[in-house]
Amino acid sequence: MLDELIKIREEALSKLQEVENENDLSELTVAFLGRNGALTAILRTMSKLAPEERAKLGKEANEVKQHLTEKFEQVRSQIAKRAEEFKIRQETIDVTLPGVVDVPAGKLSPLTVVYREIRDALIGLGFTTFEGPEVEYDDYNFTKLNLPLNHPARDMQDTFYINDKVLLRTHTSPCEARALMTLKPPFRVVIPGRVFRVDEPDASHSPVFMQMEGLVVDRNLTIADLKGTIDTFVKAVFGENVKSRLRPSYFPFTEPSAEVDISCTICGGVGCSSCKGTGWMEIMGCGITNPHEIENCGLDPNEWRAFAFGVGVDRVACLKYGINDIRLLYEGDARFLRQL
Amino acid sequence: MKLPLKWLKDFVEFNVTPEEFANRMLLRGFEVAEIIPEMKATGVYVCTIEKIEQHPNAERLRVCAVDIGREEPVTIVTNATNVYEGCQVPVALDGAVLADGMEIHPTKMRGVQSVGMFCGGAELGITDAEYEGASNDSVLILNEKHVNGQPIADALDLNEVIFDIELTPNRPDCQSIIGICREAASALGQRMKEPEIKEIKGEGNAEDYAKVTVLNPTLCPRYLARVVTDLKIEPSPRWMQLRLKLAGLRPINNIVDITNYVLLEYGHPMHAFDLACIEDAHIVVRNAREGEVVTTLDGKERTMSADMLLIADPHKGVGIAGVMGGLNSEITGDTKVTLFESAVFLPENIRHTTRKLRHSTDSSARFTKGVEAVNAEKAINRAIELVDMLGAGKVIGSMINVTAKEPAEKTAVADIAHINEILHTELSGERMAELLSGINIDAEVNGDKLVVKVPHFRTDIEDGIETDWDIAEEVGRLYGYDNIEPTLMVGKTFQGRLGESFALEDKIKDYMASMGFMELYNYNFTSPQEYDLLLLPEDDEKRQTVRLRNPFGEDQSLMRTTLIGGMLRTVQLNCNRKTGHSRFFEVGNVHFNNNDDLPEERRMLGAVCFGTGESFFTLKGVLEQLFGSLGITGVRYERGGGEYLHPGQKAVILVDGESIGEIGCVHPQVKKGFDLPVSPFIAEIDFNKLIAKANAERKFKPLPKFPIVPRDIAIIVDSEVESQTVIDVISAVKTKALIENVYCFDVFYPKVPGEKGIPAGKKSMAFRFELRNDDHTLNDEEIGQAVKAILKSLKFRLDADLRS
Repeated sequence: MLDELIKIREEALSKLQEVENENDLSELTVAFLGRNGALTAILRTMSKLAPEERAKLGKEANEVKQHLTEKFEQVRSQIAKRAEEFKIRQETIDVTLPGVVDVPAGKLSPLTVVYREIRDALIGLGFTTFEGPEVEYDDYNFTKLNLPLNHPARDMQDTFYINDKVLLRTHTSPCEARALMTLKPPFRVVIPGRVFRVDEPDASHSPVFMQMEGLVVDRNLTIADLKGTIDTFVKAVFGENVKSRLRPSYFPFTEPSAEVDISCTICGGVGCSSCKGTGWMEIMGCGITNPHEIENCGLDPNEWRAFAFGVGVDRVACLKYGINDIRLLYEGDARFLRQL
Repeated sequence: MKLPLKWLKDFVEFNVTPEEFANRMLLRGFEVAEIIPEMKATGVYVCTIEKIEQHPNAERLRVCAVDIGREEPVTIVTNATNVYEGCQVPVALDGAVLADGMEIHPTKMRGVQSVGMFCGGAELGITDAEYEGASNDSVLILNEKHVNGQPIADALDLNEVIFDIELTPNRPDCQSIIGICREAASALGQRMKEPEIKEIKGEGNAEDYAKVTVLNPTLCPRYLARVVTDLKIEPSPRWMQLRLKLAGLRPINNIVDITNYVLLEYGHPMHAFDLACIEDAHIVVRNAREGEVVTTLDGKERTMSADMLLIADPHKGVGIAGVMGGLNSEITGDTKVTLFESAVFLPENIRHTTRKLRHSTDSSARFTKGVEAVNAEKAINRAIELVDMLGAGKVIGSMINVTAKEPAEKTAVADIAHINEILHTELSGERMAELLSGINIDAEVNGDKLVVKVPHFRTDIEDGIETDWDIAEEVGRLYGYDNIEPTLMVGKTFQGRLGESFALEDKIKDYMASMGFMELYNYNFTSPQEYDLLLLPEDDEKRQTVRLRNPFGEDQSLMRTTLIGGMLRTVQLNCNRKTGHSRFFEVGNVHFNNNDDLPEERRMLGAVCFGTGESFFTLKGVLEQLFGSLGITGVRYERGGGEYLHPGQKAVILVDGESIGEIGCVHPQVKKGFDLPVSPFIAEIDFNKLIAKANAERKFKPLPKFPIVPRDIAIIVDSEVESQTVIDVISAVKTKALIENVYCFDVFYPKVPGEKGIPAGKKSMAFRFELRNDDHTLNDEEIGQAVKAILKSLKFRLDADLRS
């Protein structure tokens, strides 16, 4: 009987060697350890034995059962591990294949991106957003800004007219008049928006473009403050290494007036074809607000001083992204938008 | 404004490079747009033709051995017939660029290698004005001896440059050589000496020869005239011709050239009349008669209107004031007596006239920007000086002077401290005066004031409210903005703020981009035809457009009232170019003509998607999530919307019963009209209404205390019944249980009648809803009653049956 027990054990262990999968193992478990299995069968016959022998054999049998159970369990876990490894191998993918999304990649226009950069830089300097209509009174667009009818500087901006009194604003400056007339000084506003000029579209002109204007009204502003503000803003938008300078110019609504040049963003200021070898690029106009404008808008120019600056968002976008044709900004070609 | 360096040197000592000069001018507010060489052609040298032989293979070509200053002669093949052995000519060698941009390289001509090409005036870009003989249509034979191999520009003394300077409208005085030289001198650290004009007294009295009457002194505040008799009309001397040429004018004859020379030098336009053609020798300055026709010097007939100023004699017009002289009184070879006119006309009137006639000239450009009375007198005296210098005729004594108000000296008083405040400087009054003196403005310190004697030519400096700013501008630019240290603003601190609507616009744009939409900025202009293409009825609100008075063309004559046309053109462009993208959006303004002064401006959000995988519902899904993210609830979609949408696939979007926009598939005819290969789905939403709804406050409601019981039902209803109708019916049922969050999760249309037990004309819809109660956990009975009540109501209102 004992021999038989050992034989069963050996047979089971030998068969266990050949087990390949969960199924084989289950069959083997049933065959040896199951209710009708070989070991159970032996145990059943034990009742016929003498008590002493039964106890001995029972102990042996239990040991065999326990041994087999452990071995079976070992194999089971090996099989499970192998199966899991196999599954993982099966599920292994080429992680370098392109990702999949169910929405295509959307994009904000570079105009929006640049507009926000400029705007947020100014908000950081204490400016608040302000806006006004695109179709505007001639009075606000020109007259209040020290550009009375027949002023030669009106020719600087070719204007789309609706009628004698109403036009498409040629700059965001009419909002200066609106701000001066409605807000309580001191204040700082940033004014974004579309503006319009009678310029046939070409690589560097668009009849519709986007401008941003900053206006600061306070008691003791100086041209040095204007320089400092512009310098901070230029660094925020173009980078810490970019320098700016003011260069005398003329705008009817400011005096003194200046153009703002920044050190060339392409060559860093040494001179290249983009900056015509000068190392500088013109990006915006600015100045101390003309006292006539302050007065026309109902404030006392000897009490309140103001400065203003206006930047072409399109121009900055073209500079920043190296866009060589402004029309691309208004065409809606996905291949263009995708790049930026 | 063209400033030839040669001319500049008459007034200042030029001691820097042209580039340095340009930079200094730039930093004073005068941008040099271009530095133009006097001689455009490069790579052209002096050579002597040593030997000329017939070309072996070509009858019309000749082979020349040419000395270009090297050891060995070179070979040039030419077809020129005027060259001869021993003559000196210009030769363009390898790499030369001619005036017309043509590049020269060695080439084989009928088997003989030629290293370059002989040049005539045309190739060099010069005429007789620059060098005698240059206007001939042949190779230029040099008439003086030069060194072979010398650059031709040096040999012809055309090796200097011309500065093309951009002027700002506040400096009309700089539209003249003298004016710009004042600034140039200061830029070079000098002060220009104002030129003295030799007074030519002449004989006799001009008033015996001519008479001037000004009938409208407002439009013509000053009219000066001088008379010259015994004219000898001939070409002007070469030095004068050359200067005119360099400054961009064409020499004509001595008298016309004198007026043009003075125009350039002093910036004051003049005119010379043939006095014999002026009836009664009487100039009358008057408004034109409506429809009066004048033939101008260029031979064109110009029809005048009554608001234009005419120079006339008692019977006819002889010139358009400030614009152009008349052909009938032109200086010709036979002119014996001339009347020089030097007048001041009102700028706005000349501006108006040029615009109305669509004709502007060098003269009108200067009048439009503003001329002044003192300069008018200097100009005419200078012209007479030149007549005398050139011996062009006999100057008659005295000047005819019709002046409404003699020019007075102007003084402006500026506050020194105020100027320093504006500029953030600490300059003394004396230092300021010194700076101003550099541009020929004299000023004196008087206590804390700077008393500025405003020179006649500085019409931009005001004596009044603007004075301090005017003077600050001059002092600032002369002192140099670079010398002003930047500061940060002090005083009240501000909290910068992004306005609410700006913040929401950011959010909405970011959301649309995250959903795969690319952002558009379409032009605001559109064509009237677009509204026909969009099938809009005559009385549609979108036809209440604002029309531009001066559009580029009819197709861009209206301000858009919808973003849809632009979006459809974007679809067309992207399909045509196969860009592979099919979702776009725009946030932009549209304008409606509401008969107020200013049109109604509405900001719109437009979205479009098309192609595989897109449907009404994908776009609707995008909007639903957008509304959700903005906290907008209670959005309903009702069948309806514009004519441009597919009648079976369109809806208006309602929030709290108010329409905020539309969504749908474009109408098949619109698709055709816009030539689209696909049927896009579009939505257009009133941006301000959208953000107004988004502003609704959100408040926390306690979470339900008792369990929620979800229930599904499937019903069979008429196939026309919309899910919203069913939802409304279910939601309206009153039971002990609250019925919430009803939505449709499945619709089934039988493909053949009777499929899955659904008869013809019917469909199956499945709804899910939640039942709960605020006070207690619902029991089975209450749940059963609620479902029963729902089914009863559905049967009663919609004849809906439970699908078994």
